[in-house]
Amino acid sequence: MRPPALRLAAASARSIRRFRTIVPSSTSSPSTTTRTNRPLTSAVLLNHQLVPSSSPRRSYHSTTHPPPPGPFTPVESAILSAAYQHVPTHGFTPEALALGARSAGYLDISATVVPDGVFGLIRWHLVTQRLALAGKKTALFGAEENKLVPGEVARRVEALVWERLMGNKEINSRWQEALAIMAQPTYVPASVKELALLVDEIWYLAGDVAVDPSWYTKRASLSAIYAASELFMTNDRSPDFQETREFLRRRLGEASEIGDATRSVREWVSFTASAGINVLRSKGMPI
Amino acid sequence: MAVLRPALSVPRALVQTSLRQSPRCAVSRRLLSSSSSSRSQNNNAPPTTPEYAVPDPSRPTHFGFETVTEAEKRERVAGVFTSVAESYDRMNDLMSFGWHRIWKDHFVASLNPGFSPLSSSSDPRSPQHILDIAGGTGDIAFRMLHTAHVLNANPSVRVTISDINPAMLSVGKQRSTSLPASQQAALSFVEANAEDLTRTTPLLTSTSSPSPVPPQEIPSESVDLYTVAFGIRNFSNIPAALREAHRVLKPGGVFACLEFSKADKFPLFNTLYKEWSFRAIPLIGQLVAGDRDSYQYLVESIERFPSQTEFRDMIVDAGFVVAGEGYEDLTGGVAAIHKGMKPR
Ligand SMILES: C[S@@+](CC[C@H](N)C(=O)[O-])C[C@H]1O[C@@H](n2cnc3c(N)ncnc32)[C@H](O)[C@@H]1O
Repeated sequence: MRPPALRLAAASARSIRRFRTIVPSSTSSPSTTTRTNRPLTSAVLLNHQLVPSSSPRRSYHSTTHPPPPGPFTPVESAILSAAYQHVPTHGFTPEALALGARSAGYLDISATVVPDGVFGLIRWHLVTQRLALAGKKTALFGAEENKLVPGEVARRVEALVWERLMGNKEINSRWQEALAIMAQPTYVPASVKELALLVDEIWYLAGDVAVDPSWYTKRASLSAIYAASELFMTNDRSPDFQETREFLRRRLGEASEIGDATRSVREWVSFTASAGINVLRSKGMPI
Repeated sequence: MAVLRPALSVPRALVQTSLRQSPRCAVSRRLLSSSSSSRSQNNNAPPTTPEYAVPDPSRPTHFGFETVTEAEKRERVAGVFTSVAESYDRMNDLMSFGWHRIWKDHFVASLNPGFSPLSSSSDPRSPQHILDIAGGTGDIAFRMLHTAHVLNANPSVRVTISDINPAMLSVGKQRSTSLPASQQAALSFVEANAEDLTRTTPLLTSTSSPSPVPPQEIPSESVDLYTVAFGIRNFSNIPAALREAHRVLKPGGVFACLEFSKADKFPLFNTLYKEWSFRAIPLIGQLVAGDRDSYQYLVESIERFPSQTEFRDMIVDAGFVVAGEGYEDLTGGVAAIHKGMKPR
């Protein structure tokens, strides 16, 4: 039995909203790893909000029931999958959506049935990339299931996060624009929920079955590390994103070495928040 | 709370009684039960028209909380809008607390008429034909033209404003004279019943001769975007109107509807809103416009209109496909936007 991801999403949504107001203005560039801003005094906040609830826990990844139908109807999938092909050249924009509608054999106006417009296209990327991870599991780890030596879960987490980051390769140059859209107040809850689902999926595929008090901290740290790495990657010009890979390794290493997960969560959330805010400022958002 | 109850219990009881009598109710129940399967399916061929979607002047329907025939409803709705045509804006403001302008802006922005992606072909701005049904006073049509011609710099978008009521159309025609000439040239006004778009007549201006113009058909597959704002709940036969929308739209064309809806996801807010609409609005209608009955009808017709999901299922039943839930709530569900696409 696993705690529902939604609860975590709601909690993180709350904390993100508060970070938007708490985080002191900082000039650290997204591409630097030095933490120049003051650490947040938010350990209490995080602890408080990530406490497991006693409400009945629903199995999130059921192995006996078929997965719930995806969030996209057939016409939505047709338009969005076609529009997605235009993202590398046109970004997550109305252009890409209308071109998608055209390539799917419809009219320019047809794309306007997609809920939330360009955010719908971003959500398509998030959902399809998340769902694609499961199919890569065997290729990454082979078929053998039950022999998880110590350290193996951590190795798998890194491999899966890397796999997911590589899912951004094609649209990496467009991802900062997408983050700016995701940060619009209307879309923050849905964006945070997607991040929580991704992290949940990664722990699950890595074979982590522990349901203990560390459940929430593990997920919160991985969310923070993933978000920071993704943002780092948008400014990474190194061949094959080697710098991003190193960045990711360091972050994961620190998180496990320190042991005090709360501290690393706090640091990485503050890094991500300040770096994220800088990205948004550079996109002209008044924050 | 105890004070609120008597006012609300009367309409409730009426709703239930007349729902039981109404043959339409059986339809929506059937639609509901089949919704999960039909929603995801791609009805390529327009479905054969079921009996309930064929207009029948003698079939019972509702006029507010009364049960009347379809023909009677048409006449009485005409009466309502002829009498409120002049005070129409005030009425909308009352019903929506002034929000209707914002809803209309959002509705039009979400449809982004005239938008075309830049492409290598010679002229990227493709022409579009928008049909604004029950467009009365032109509120939606003028916004569409502004977005298309000005914001999207696409002058090859034209809008046909259609309404069953010449009094409402005349108000719209009158207002359109303050638009730029290029936008006026892209507008046309036709009188038509939304349930039968095969017979439309151009609006006769007072100066033109009263010689009868032969009715014209809005051709099948000729429209890119069909809009109807705050109109559809007044129709005598909504399934018939949805099928006409399906007929005139091109494959890929979009049906978009803005209408008052159900705010019942927020019970307290809903109670207050109903209290306001059932008690205050008819009274205000009487004081301000000297016309209590018309305003009473408007309030009741909102109460009578199907819920968001029921209406979505009616749209699917008429052959459209939807994305996501098929609708978007505005202001907690006081109004909602429904969209559907005609599949190929
Ligand atoms: C509340 S007004 C909406 C006007 C405008 N669309 C707006 O949003 O301000 C409703 C309109 O529906 C029209 N109407 C009612 N029944 C109709 C029908 N069967 N076919 C076409 N229009 C109809 C009325 O004449 C009236 O002008």
